[in-house]
Amino acid sequence: MDLFAQILVNGVLLGGLYAVMALGLALVWGVLNIVNLAHGAFIMLGAYLSWHLYTYLGIDPFLGLPITAILMFCLGYAVQRGLLNLIVRAPMFNTLLITFGLEVVLTYLAQIAFSADFRTINPSYAGAHISLGPLVIPLARLMAFGVAIVLTVGMWVFLLRTRLGRAIRATAQNLVAARLYGVEPRHLYAMTFGIGIGLAGAAGGLYGTVSQINPYIGATLTAKSFAIAIIGGLENPLGVIVGGLVLGIIESLTVAYVGATFGDVASFGVLVLVLIVRPSGILGKTA
Amino acid sequence: MSAILDVSHVTRRFAGLVAVNDVSFTLNRGEILGVIGPNGAGKTTLVSLISGTLPPSSGEISFEGHPISTLPAYRRARLGIGRTFQIMRPFPGLSVLDNVAVGALFGQGGGEADLKRARERARDQLEFVGLARHADQRADELGGPSRKRLELAKALAMQPKVLLCDEVMAGLNLVEIDEVIEVIRRVREQGISILVIEHVIKAIKSLSDRLLVIHHGEKIADDAPDAVLSDSRVIEAYLGRRRA
Amino acid sequence: MKGLWLLLILLALVALAALPWYGSDVLVQFGISTLLLAVLAQGWNIIGGYTGYASFGNSVFYGLGAYGVAIAMVQWNLPFGVGMVFGVVLAVVFAFLLGLPVLRLRGHYFAIATLALAQVMAAIVSNIPLAGQNIGLVLPPLNNDRLFYELSLALLVLATLTVFWLTRSKFGFGLIAIRENEEGAAVMGVNTTLYKVMAFALSGIFTALAGGIHAYWITFLDPESAFDISLNVKMIIMAVFGGPGTVLGPVVGAFVLSAVSEVLSSEVTSIAGLFFGIVVVAAVVLMPRGVADVIRRFRTSGWRYFAENIKAHRL
Repeated sequence: MDLFAQILVNGVLLGGLYAVMALGLALVWGVLNIVNLAHGAFIMLGAYLSWHLYTYLGIDPFLGLPITAILMFCLGYAVQRGLLNLIVRAPMFNTLLITFGLEVVLTYLAQIAFSADFRTINPSYAGAHISLGPLVIPLARLMAFGVAIVLTVGMWVFLLRTRLGRAIRATAQNLVAARLYGVEPRHLYAMTFGIGIGLAGAAGGLYGTVSQINPYIGATLTAKSFAIAIIGGLENPLGVIVGGLVLGIIESLTVAYVGATFGDVASFGVLVLVLIVRPSGILGKTA
Repeated sequence: MSAILDVSHVTRRFAGLVAVNDVSFTLNRGEILGVIGPNGAGKTTLVSLISGTLPPSSGEISFEGHPISTLPAYRRARLGIGRTFQIMRPFPGLSVLDNVAVGALFGQGGGEADLKRARERARDQLEFVGLARHADQRADELGGPSRKRLELAKALAMQPKVLLCDEVMAGLNLVEIDEVIEVIRRVREQGISILVIEHVIKAIKSLSDRLLVIHHGEKIADDAPDAVLSDSRVIEAYLGRRRA
Repeated sequence: MKGLWLLLILLALVALAALPWYGSDVLVQFGISTLLLAVLAQGWNIIGGYTGYASFGNSVFYGLGAYGVAIAMVQWNLPFGVGMVFGVVLAVVFAFLLGLPVLRLRGHYFAIATLALAQVMAAIVSNIPLAGQNIGLVLPPLNNDRLFYELSLALLVLATLTVFWLTRSKFGFGLIAIRENEEGAAVMGVNTTLYKVMAFALSGIFTALAGGIHAYWITFLDPESAFDISLNVKMIIMAVFGGPGTVLGPVVGAFVLSAVSEVLSSEVTSIAGLFFGIVVVAAVVLMPRGVADVIRRFRTSGWRYFAENIKAHRL
């Protein structure tokens, strides 16, 4: 029973991180109708950025998160403004391909710049944990979980309460609506993508504190983010928390009770199942 | 007169909204039945229910005496139900001719097996609706009025027994409307039964043998055109309470 | 004009078929892998290019074909030909069983569902003892590159003829109608579900055959290489680069991109990968309809062609 509870706790903590990973993907997908296959690669870049800040400048990975997020936001803004805006009105397949191309470019650039070695961000408290009765809660994971929840809820408030947030939500319905808010669509698109990538960067920073990083982690992270966005839905940022928790718990349970090699099968299996079982419900939004 | 299409107590709900509410009517062989109603009355939904792109929530639709409500759209097309789309949806990357050839290749009875024969039939159909000189253009290069004709040609190439026209006259000028009315009359002369949904009352009045009025998803009148258009409920629905 | 094209294609074919008799061993090996990639691109063309369903799961067919041959030859001591048939059967069964639910999804959803399926299959196979689990299977070696080359070429010709037939047949016309407007196709009498699944299966058959030949040629097979997702992306990019929905486009795309990446990877491997990504990005922006469309339209528009593409799709 204790083992089961521990696995659940692990799953929940992992789920929080997953949620923030998927948040940016869901935002970009829901508003711009771009499924960003390079999303995971941006998470990877964020992780490396955080690693460099810590290793060379000694900036704590959690305190460095805003820096990572802002730098990644700028990168995202530039990519959308300079590149993706050029093909926004092309068929969806083209946007899949171009973001895939970006993923390849980012991965190989990372490989050239950072080598293929595994890296970890190891602050002094990396091994610390809190004991809660029989449960063990790793401190870094708990902090990552907390930041993830704050970011997700913050995103929700931003979309509902600020003028830019409302303009972004209106754009999800209808491109012309953006003009009603006095925002130039090209700028708005770039802002949205920038925010999405900024979140990916923050997610990367968090990921680096709990997991090993190398240039090739992107593809899997994209797939997981996608699964979470599907399960949680694109309508509401809080949906990704649900999706993230579902995936995190399923994965922890599978790894513990079925076998380590089945962790990814579980997540992708759930993705396929959800798609097949309720395609109409999920399709409602973008079809 | 015998009924070719029988719609019986058909209802269609979308999340929290009743688009078509308990509507019943028949379309007789060789008849032109007009369906009018204000925007959002449920007219297009009705066409989708008959052609099979939407399943009804309840009720039954029969075609030549056989229930068809559970059949997929393509089976209904093969039985002989052809439709046009209000929001015109050609096959954008295909030539105008090939757009129509799809109807001849598939369509009622399963269509032609041979591509060449299908294209020949498509060419005849383009001639019939007056689009022959656009045959080799890409469909998405056509202007609005020509697209309306293309919609008609595509449906007619299926050699349907029943033709459902969803606002084929909307957005046309008076001359073009007269031309389309002429085409539809000639279609009827081929023995095809026609259901015409229209917003332009004047056009439909002269064309229809009978008029059906839909309002808020419900049938509020079903009679000869003159009688329907002098019905106080119809006037109210169309012009608002004050004028009634 | 038409006769000239035919003559050119025939000449190219003869030159290709004779290659093992005048080319070096390295060239023949490069030829086999390029021909097989071209088959994959052409197979993808059927479901992605003609039917409009961007499958990211065709590598599953490839893996099934490869494992069909490997299991038949290693575990059951059956001849290569029987293994190929077994692989094709597996691919067709998969196309029908999983194609039916998955092909109901559209756009992104279909793409990602097939991508996920490929991941799941790799993990499942690595847990099946008959398939050698994650260690893989070693096939009996056959040192006859000439045979593998001619087999691959024959398969590519067959796949291309099939695609050519599509452009002339009722079936192919139905697929194109589905790609252009699925609902419109259905109300005109196209059995969209059946047609899509058949296209998926047809696409799978060629992909599985290519996988089978590759497995026997390489003589080794493990889940990671058999269900490699990047292979799937490669075939898509080759098809799209050459021109999806055209008869020769995917073949041209496979030849051109293979040659370029071969030249580059002889220098530095990571540069080749980087270049691949840049080509994809640039191609989507500048020539979204592939080389075939560039050739067709460049004559009339000149360099403006590229600017026109951007103008048509930018915000």
